[in-house]
Amino acid sequence: MSNPLADMEKPDVIFCIGTNMTEAHPVAATRLKKALARGAKMIVADPRRIRLAEMADLYLPIRVGSDTALLLGMAHVIVREGLADSEFIAARTEGYEELVDHLQEKTPEWAESITGVPAAMIEEAAILYGSSGKAAIYYTLGITEHICGVENVQSLCNLALLTGNFGREGTGVNPMRGQNNIQGAGDSGALPNNYAGFQPVDDAANQAKFEKAYGRKVDLEKGITKVTALDQCGDRIFAMLIDGENTVVSDPDQEHCIHALKSLEHLVVIDIFLTETAELADVVLPAASWAETDGNFVNTERRIQRVRKAVEPPGEARPDWWIIGRIAQRMGMSGMDYDSPVPIFNELCELSPIYQGIDWDLAEGGQYQWPIPYRGHPGTPRLHEDGFINGRGKFSFTDYRDPAETIDEDYPLWLTTGRRLESYHTRTQTGRSEGINDLLPEETLEVHPSDAARFGLHDGGWARMSSRRGAVDVRVETTRRSPQGTVFASFSFADVPINVLTGSGYDPITHTAELKVCPVHVEPIAERTRLTAD
Amino acid sequence: MNATTSDTKTTRTICGYCGVGCSLDLVTRDNRIIAVHPAFDGPANQGALCVKGQFAYDYVHHPDRLTHPLVRDEAGQLRRASWDEALQRAALGFKNVEQKHGRHAVYGVASGRTPSEANYMMQKFIRVGFGTNYIDNCSRA
Repeated sequence: MSNPLADMEKPDVIFCIGTNMTEAHPVAATRLKKALARGAKMIVADPRRIRLAEMADLYLPIRVGSDTALLLGMAHVIVREGLADSEFIAARTEGYEELVDHLQEKTPEWAESITGVPAAMIEEAAILYGSSGKAAIYYTLGITEHICGVENVQSLCNLALLTGNFGREGTGVNPMRGQNNIQGAGDSGALPNNYAGFQPVDDAANQAKFEKAYGRKVDLEKGITKVTALDQCGDRIFAMLIDGENTVVSDPDQEHCIHALKSLEHLVVIDIFLTETAELADVVLPAASWAETDGNFVNTERRIQRVRKAVEPPGEARPDWWIIGRIAQRMGMSGMDYDSPVPIFNELCELSPIYQGIDWDLAEGGQYQWPIPYRGHPGTPRLHEDGFINGRGKFSFTDYRDPAETIDEDYPLWLTTGRRLESYHTRTQTGRSEGINDLLPEETLEVHPSDAARFGLHDGGWARMSSRRGAVDVRVETTRRSPQGTVFASFSFADVPINVLTGSGYDPITHTAELKVCPVHVEPIAERTRLTAD
Repeated sequence: MNATTSDTKTTRTICGYCGVGCSLDLVTRDNRIIAVHPAFDGPANQGALCVKGQFAYDYVHHPDRLTHPLVRDEAGQLRRASWDEALQRAALGFKNVEQKHGRHAVYGVASGRTPSEANYMMQKFIRVGFGTNYIDNCSRA
């Protein structure tokens, strides 16, 4: 997030797109509710009439995968109506004139033809966002899990740059991170393109810096992403170490994923349960859970917070850092023999410019949001206050592209996937929590009543849903939360493995899978016969 | 803490589910979590918690938890192993693959769920062990 969570209570206008915040980030949503109670206006763009849409002043029911068209149409209106912040644009951006040319054809009528949202509503949204003193954008995976995820984000940045909504209280472009420490995973250098602290691996100075620290020269070339690595299993990749990820259930195109992992010569999985992924491993190593380990998580607002051990791990389970270090030692690696997480975190801080101002002891109170560039620096709750890191904010000349697969006669419905309030990811944890299982015992396919009638489905009955990659059986729930022509299911239940169906394409830059769009066919069945991908 | 005492203990920590990072207090007794209290001074949550953060902690003590290492035997079944054997198997497997297919044949996937210290160790394992950048985390899917 460019801005702190506390800022969620401050905007005059809130623009939520591709975020089911009341379910996926419920506590963050409570802060938006405080802003609404204070009188802030909210625009929500989402294919589904989610709870957030019900709370909105203006709800834009966009077709899945059409976000860029909507955002270009809004930018067109902002320019046309003279709502662009010329002072901010002159002082802090570049490419404005080219953007104005680029937007000429991106009329709200053009956007309507792609998104299905009436041009008048697109104009209303643009004017509301563009004429506000403090407008903030919030988004989640509904923006990024597309083949055009990068263009979607760039199109959002265009809106904020056009209207000067950066670097002030209650503004910004704010992605809500989905996992407790997904931010920290990137910060720590678990990326193919960056060392710790987002230092590019293809910069020779960084290579030299880490050679000195690690005693080994690392390739100057970027590594490959996990998506590419899975594609290359059995071909170029022959061994994997997977820590705490149920790849088989969470990743797209399940059959491909299982085949990939099975074609490895050596798979080591570290986890707290024998997940569907761990079942494929040659070696499974038992990890300490979240309540059994000391360390640091980094949240969606870049806040570094201490996690503390409250109970002993069961049996012989050990903390992840210990397990990885001990494998390394057995392989003869040096500099991996840590006896506590403290020196590990301190080494991360020493090597990362964004963590330079802290160490384990200073992080104790959880008051620091990175960047913390030097000792004594208070941290940076709000980014871009005095300027952008790389000079001027660059406008992007994005364009609309169709999703990787579009609906046709054989696959006439859009499937979009996501999370539900009561379950988390692949349910390795929440599926083993009794009360939670009572609240949400099984997966359902959310279908608009008219689509149910069209395809002969009944509320509470079974449907077989197929895509170009596979089929799953799932119970039907008729609801107007789903728009006509689009169905929804979560990816949480291993017995309804929705990711058997997904995997039509990937963003070419981030390699993020287009999990939010998948053309499907549905038909009624008497009872469920397909239980797993096999 | 002495496992035989019945005294309760409170530990301030951070919720392990989504990325909001709510502060909470784990109330424990006899090495078990018995309650979760929201932290009113938590900077992200100011006393609020969702249904998962408040109630979905009992998986920690679930009988399905892995309590010892497992290795695949000659018949293709996972069987119990000592840490010594399992670490040796893990290390040897990576060594063998590197020897046979080169250092770019080994890949690491770090977790968005573990603390940063585990992520840092994963990337260091790949970079120091193999001199490659063949490391990613689970943020792309």
